[in-house]
Amino acid sequence: MTQLILYDAFNGLIVGAFYALMALGLSLILNLSGVINFAHGGFLAIGAYIAFTLIPYVGFWGALVIAPALTGIFGLIIERLLIRPLYGRDPLYSLLLTFGLAFMFEDGTRYIWGPSTLPFSVPDWLNEPLSGQYFFLTGYRLFMVALVSLTVIVLFVLLTRTRLGVRIRAGTLDLETVSVLGVNVRILRSLNFGLGIYMAGLAGVLAAGMLGLQPTIGSDLIMPSFVAVIIGGLGSLPGTLVGGLLIGVASGLTTVWFPSASEAVIYVLMALVLLVRPRGLFGEEGRF
Amino acid sequence: MSNSTVHGAIGRRTVLKAGLALGAMQIASPFVIKALGEEPIKIGLDDTFTGTYAVLGRNEQIGCELAVDEINKKGGILGRQVQLLSEDSTSTDTGTAVQKAHKLIDRDKVNFFLGNVNSAMALALGDVTAQAGVLHIVTGGHTDAVTGTDCHWNVFRVCNTTRMETNSVSKLLFDKFGKKWYFLTPDYAFGHTLQQGFEASLKKFGGTEVGASLTPLGSTDFSSYLIKAQSANPDVIIVLEAGQDAVNCLKQAVQFGLDKKFHIAGAQQELEVLEGLPPNARIGTWVFEWYWNQPNVPHVNEFVASIKKINNGKVPTARHWFGYAATWTCALIANEKKTLKAETLAKGLENFQLPPEVALMPDKVFYRAGDHQLMPDLYVGHAVEKGSTEEDLFHVDQIVKGEEAAPPVSETGCHIKWPQT
Repeated sequence: MTQLILYDAFNGLIVGAFYALMALGLSLILNLSGVINFAHGGFLAIGAYIAFTLIPYVGFWGALVIAPALTGIFGLIIERLLIRPLYGRDPLYSLLLTFGLAFMFEDGTRYIWGPSTLPFSVPDWLNEPLSGQYFFLTGYRLFMVALVSLTVIVLFVLLTRTRLGVRIRAGTLDLETVSVLGVNVRILRSLNFGLGIYMAGLAGVLAAGMLGLQPTIGSDLIMPSFVAVIIGGLGSLPGTLVGGLLIGVASGLTTVWFPSASEAVIYVLMALVLLVRPRGLFGEEGRF
Repeated sequence: MSNSTVHGAIGRRTVLKAGLALGAMQIASPFVIKALGEEPIKIGLDDTFTGTYAVLGRNEQIGCELAVDEINKKGGILGRQVQLLSEDSTSTDTGTAVQKAHKLIDRDKVNFFLGNVNSAMALALGDVTAQAGVLHIVTGGHTDAVTGTDCHWNVFRVCNTTRMETNSVSKLLFDKFGKKWYFLTPDYAFGHTLQQGFEASLKKFGGTEVGASLTPLGSTDFSSYLIKAQSANPDVIIVLEAGQDAVNCLKQAVQFGLDKKFHIAGAQQELEVLEGLPPNARIGTWVFEWYWNQPNVPHVNEFVASIKKINNGKVPTARHWFGYAATWTCALIANEKKTLKAETLAKGLENFQLPPEVALMPDKVFYRAGDHQLMPDLYVGHAVEKGSTEEDLFHVDQIVKGEEAAPPVSETGCHIKWPQT
């Protein structure tokens, strides 16, 4: 039993790391631009489908590099054409826009790649269990954790050590002052949005290696990511990371005793956090 | 910072407008009308064209369309052309399915009614059509009750019951792979009845159930359930997941190497699922309800060629055949009885045998009197990485006759009450 609990907790951490990757992208965009990006799952799906299309030409590793970048560029275009005109308006406008975009992306992928599930393969050596006897872990899951860790480290270095990162963080706190100080807020928001969508694209490629690739792949994963953001606290990227890991472990452990509640438990956890600490675990007081 | 965050005031009017827009989206779901003509015979299809079961519902619709086309070329029904009216039931909202059924029956006045993939919807629609007195052929909802405890005089079913599926494969699994079984079961009616079917077989053969996990519908990560299955150390892991859940579960089971330690098997398997799996995850022993690669069965090749023409060059699946056989059933019985009166047609369908060009199976295929369940062949076999062609992903090991797999009518719980005339 102890072994079972340990296995489940460990696998929960891995799944949580994946949720965190998606949630960090969401959080970045929400913090700086105030856009609740309902289309994040759609961008994820687009990243996965682009990778699927590229794999025959550039292989899995090539697709892993190129697909998220292309998704990020697509995000930049969407931001420039559709989201930017709404910055000055009521936040509900951008919420409704991204809500509509989510449907358009889902149907768009269905139109281009078809409604059937597509066989997305990863390299054989990643597809093997590391040791089924002593530790319940696959090569692919270990690779996912490594990649998510690397992305998180790069992201935090970017935010703390580079001029762009410092501006993004400053803009999150007070965009108006940053603007007055001569920073081009438009470009800042665009780059930040592109970065968030890049992470969605990366999450998409990783997800397709573990799940079946079909048009709703993004909408199936988007809700846990929102929950991770809320539990971690709006405005806090470390909070989002912790939120993702927490719901992964909670969901994993619940399956030991009560499997049918493993999906519901993350919402129960969210409700509890909101009741006890409405701003989330690491959220700033008074924000949002 | 005035416009950069979401704490701006959201007015009541804005919320109302948003609500109105959302409401409008619900109404604007796909709505397809084909081939208008003067006083045609109308066949209504209420099926899942959006959501989880969208592919399955759409494939059934393609089968119906091919049948309608063929029927019209051969003179229609009672000399009148046939028109297919399709409505999207959604995949999960039974209320919408019932509402669409009322629209087809009350407004469009359909003569025949077909649908649905979703078992719960098939049951609810059976109640609606029985009240309206319309002949109803259930295309793809498998739960036992449709032709069991909730059967109706006007409701017939083309696809198998879950019990037929489990009975057809149980003996093979028990004899060949072992007597300790672990179940991975989706937590809704379809999964529960499949598990009950296997449990009954296991009890009969003297085997042991070493555990079971109920998985929520739409699960993405199966690692926790697979860990439990491994720790129970069974001979066979019975995977009862369907659709996208089956793809996710099998893909992850192979990544964890469970297929190397245990035999993976289940009941119903579909070509749509095997096509969505990477080649190394096409594993296990399953039941197919119809298979396209039957070189020695007459008319199958013609059917495959016809479907490929209207299905982007892809071979038909069991779902295409369900729609095809259901639609042809309406035409065959109406032309034989020379009437559209539902009660006469329903009585005529009892023990009605499908002709070979519609049955497309090696044995006799007929609607059983007493519960109105079609008795087709069941194809027990195993998934293969790649067969004779890219779409040949299943190898049939044995064909089980529906009559042998189905429990007798007396055990189904079905007592048909005919209308008082």
